Amino acid sequence: MKFKKLKLFVLTIITAIFISAGAFAETLKIGSMGPLTGPYAADGNDIANGVRSAIAVIEDEGGIEGFDKIELFAEDTACDPRQAVAAANKLINSEVIGVIGAYCSSATIPASEVLAEEDIIMITPASTNEKVTERELKYMFRMCGRDDDQSKAAVSFLKYKKAKTVFIIDDKTTYSQGLAENVAKGCEAAGIKVILHDHVNQGDKDFSAVLTKLKSKAPDALYMSLQNSATGSLMAIQAKRIGIEATILSQDAVYHPQFIDIAKDAAEGIYLTCGFMDKGTESYKNFIAKFQKITGTDKSGAYSVYAYDSAITLLKAIKKTGGTDPAKIKEAMLKMNYQGASKNISFKENGDSSSSYIIFKVENKNFKNHWNPETGELFSETK
Amino acid sequence: MEYFIQQLINGLTLGGIYALIALGYTMVYGIIQLINFAHGEFFAAGGYMGVILLSFLSANGYLATNPWLCLSGSIILAMIYCSLLATGVEKIAYKPLRKSSRLSVLLSALGMSIFIQNGLMLTQGVYDKPYPSIFSGGGFDFGNIKISYMQIVILLITILLLVFLNILVFKTRIGKAMRATAQDKTMSSLVGIKSDRVISITFIIGASLAAAAGIMVGMYYGSVGYNMGFVPGIKAFAAAVLGGIGNITGAMIGGLLIGIIEIFGAGYISSEYKDVFAFIILIGVLYFMPTGIMGENVDDTRV
Repeated sequence: MKFKKLKLFVLTIITAIFISAGAFAETLKIGSMGPLTGPYAADGNDIANGVRSAIAVIEDEGGIEGFDKIELFAEDTACDPRQAVAAANKLINSEVIGVIGAYCSSATIPASEVLAEEDIIMITPASTNEKVTERELKYMFRMCGRDDDQSKAAVSFLKYKKAKTVFIIDDKTTYSQGLAENVAKGCEAAGIKVILHDHVNQGDKDFSAVLTKLKSKAPDALYMSLQNSATGSLMAIQAKRIGIEATILSQDAVYHPQFIDIAKDAAEGIYLTCGFMDKGTESYKNFIAKFQKITGTDKSGAYSVYAYDSAITLLKAIKKTGGTDPAKIKEAMLKMNYQGASKNISFKENGDSSSSYIIFKVENKNFKNHWNPETGELFSETK
Repeated sequence: MEYFIQQLINGLTLGGIYALIALGYTMVYGIIQLINFAHGEFFAAGGYMGVILLSFLSANGYLATNPWLCLSGSIILAMIYCSLLATGVEKIAYKPLRKSSRLSVLLSALGMSIFIQNGLMLTQGVYDKPYPSIFSGGGFDFGNIKISYMQIVILLITILLLVFLNILVFKTRIGKAMRATAQDKTMSSLVGIKSDRVISITFIIGASLAAAAGIMVGMYYGSVGYNMGFVPGIKAFAAAVLGGIGNITGAMIGGLLIGIIEIFGAGYISSEYKDVFAFIILIGVLYFMPTGIMGENVDDTRV
């Protein structure tokens, strides 16, 4: 099935190249980056499918004036800094106007430096590490929130839960470790004692040792900072098996339907910080309908929505300027203020959009809005 | 003390899994001196076959009524599937190279590993597949110490297989043929042993062990992924080398040692460096005992 799709995909690309070469048609080329293979492949494919949904929606609306079609170049970073740079160079050679990606902060940062040299716009739907937008790159944007905001939300939730002690585990990626360190600092400042900040390796499956250690220290809360939802579910299962009673708080990388599918009962009652999404808006419904059509499932992770919004924003900006001049596109993007599928979209001068972290709780095999750090109140039962 | 015992149990379980995979490495190495890098992928393929069969049975309601029957049926089918896969790999990638240098077979094995891993990704998708959770729960409590049923099952199966393999290799005709082929392929075929067949059988045994390990891991950890074979494959390889590659009991001891060291490293020092400790021990042992713990009489005792 997958194979067939891939074949079809390759064929369409080949024919597309021939047709476009033959008919003097102008094609708008945009790129996407993300780990399409390797341990984070699930998230990378979510990003690519989010961008595909956006292209389909824009094309349904009549496309972009001056261009006959929009073509996507989906490159694989494998969440590896070196491969990310290679992918960025490939996209430069394909002459893309803008890039949606990448996933891991550790891949986004080196790739963005290569793209910046060619004045290519980059919008990351997933890299939350602060450094991404703090290097004064002209064309770097971020659709998701920032880790410093995310860690604040996490710390205030731990305070709300009246936790006195916290045990922190991260898996040593730029993202997870950065976030964990922010949370550790925030906890110290808030008077919550960090009993231990331990690290596991990427690709580990067995966490029995560190969880046994955790159990013997009996902290009030566990902050689980992992790069991957599948790893998160492994840890949740083992935590339940060992009998850990601490409040478990995780973050946006674990926000994926896969987490609940694998962890099943063990996922119940786990809290996560992730951006607030109003699933009742027209834009969200548009997105999920297209996403379902393309992937065959309506279970989207956090990043496919952000990838969708990133691509829509980029395409809208191109439409508005009617050309491909990056400086003008940037200007158009900065002026934007509209309701996207994930949130109300507007950019700051440094490329950040707003963070809207809230606490989710897994209840009855679903991520439910649980607590709002802005107001300090629980969400009502309805949504 | 409770902490120590709990960590020891964790270590034994992890070690048991490594040992199950290491047995396959060591058998194949013993007979044709090939480090079969595709072995980790047989393990992953077995895990996937298990999840496909068990999900099918669970969807039709058989799993709830006859769990143990379904489980043993699935394990046997997955073992058969992996045996076929291994026979195919051996015929396509290793047999034509039997007369060429060892390095080319090794490269062929690496290529096969990448090929199968990507094949799994393309056919099964990039998302991890969840196992039905019916077996993963439950266990004994001794005060603060918890032993789950799955941990006991993993250890029991590892020990049973070890005993079975030792009997097979040292007490049966086919075992004798294996040992003869391992010592001298040409000579053994002169006395009427079909060495190609013996090699195929060794591959089949190794791959079925990997399939069983794949299902155990899937049930114990709750999911399988297409790239699950790589890391345990490397660790099991290290375990086989530590125990003395080519030696069955050595593989078992090596596996348990690596598992226990890793868990104690993580439990008493830091999870971050647990692999470092495992490999320091590996290097240390190999420095003083270059053939591994059990590998003294390489020519006589290996499979």
